[in-house]
Amino acid sequence: MAVGSVTAVQAVQALQAALVAEDAAIFGYGVAGAHLAGSRKSAAEQDLTGHNEARDTLTEMITAHGGSPAAGQALYQLPFEVHGAASAAKLAAYLEDGVTRAYLGIVAVSDQRLRTFGALAMQSSAGRAAFWRGTTQAFPGLDAPT
Amino acid sequence: MLAASAAALPALLATASCRSSDVFAGPDPLAGRPSLSHDVIMLEAVIAAEQAMIRLYRAAVDGSLQATGQAGTLTDLLAQHRQHLARLQARLVLPAGSVSASPSASPGAVPARVTMARLRAAEHASATGLLTRLVTVEPSLAQLFASIAASDATHVVALGGWG
Repeated sequence: MAVGSVTAVQAVQALQAALVAEDAAIFGYGVAGAHLAGSRKSAAEQDLTGHNEARDTLTEMITAHGGSPAAGQALYQLPFEVHGAASAAKLAAYLEDGVTRAYLGIVAVSDQRLRTFGALAMQSSAGRAAFWRGTTQAFPGLDAPT
Repeated sequence: MLAASAAALPALLATASCRSSDVFAGPDPLAGRPSLSHDVIMLEAVIAAEQAMIRLYRAAVDGSLQATGQAGTLTDLLAQHRQHLARLQARLVLPAGSVSASPSASPGAVPARVTMARLRAAEHASATGLLTRLVTVEPSLAQLFASIAASDATHVVALGGWG
């Protein structure tokens, strides 16, 4: 396989992983949002909109790189049960951590524009995770949250 | 084979019409300092920037911002910058005999009065600078830079309060 082909395959794989993470986040925010109210609900709705837009962007990028965007699932298993506002916020932070890790994979590809795209997306998702968690992390995407 | 070669050296020198001292009179290609790789140079620059950030935070914690009710936040963020520095320094492997590409390790000037706006600007500049640097380094170092940039970006927001 030619080097260029390997590079393109790696790029598509990393983009696909981000697409799956975004799709899971969209599902999860639907659950979290149902347990939130007021400004927190508005924040969740805003984040949900952002993840929908990111999913569309990734879908276009995968197609542009010659791949077939992975189809989203109707249901995703949640890491824990959500009963109220506190666990909803915890779920939102969990979702954003997963999205951050997925975009970190894009930073490892050789295409410089994709690296920048992934790194910028990490800043957005890490910021949302910090909002929902109420604290920042030293190594978003790399280390498990403390 | 080596012994035989050593024994033959005077004869070889005589044949070449030169004295043994002439052998070492020219340039010595083995004596040069090893050049640093691009990644090492990038890493050193990021380490120097992280050290400057820590000096800025220490000045803020020790100075006027201590009484603003933000001391806890500043201490937490300072701790994360120290984690960044430790992780970066752990990645730095300098070849023996090499000279650091950034001899400006001497402490830079820290403003006497560090404001929250100054810290936010420094965090933003750091996140932006790392984005520029990560495109040219090897993948795992790029990921470390990206993670630290994401952390710095969250610090910008944290310094303004979570709202």
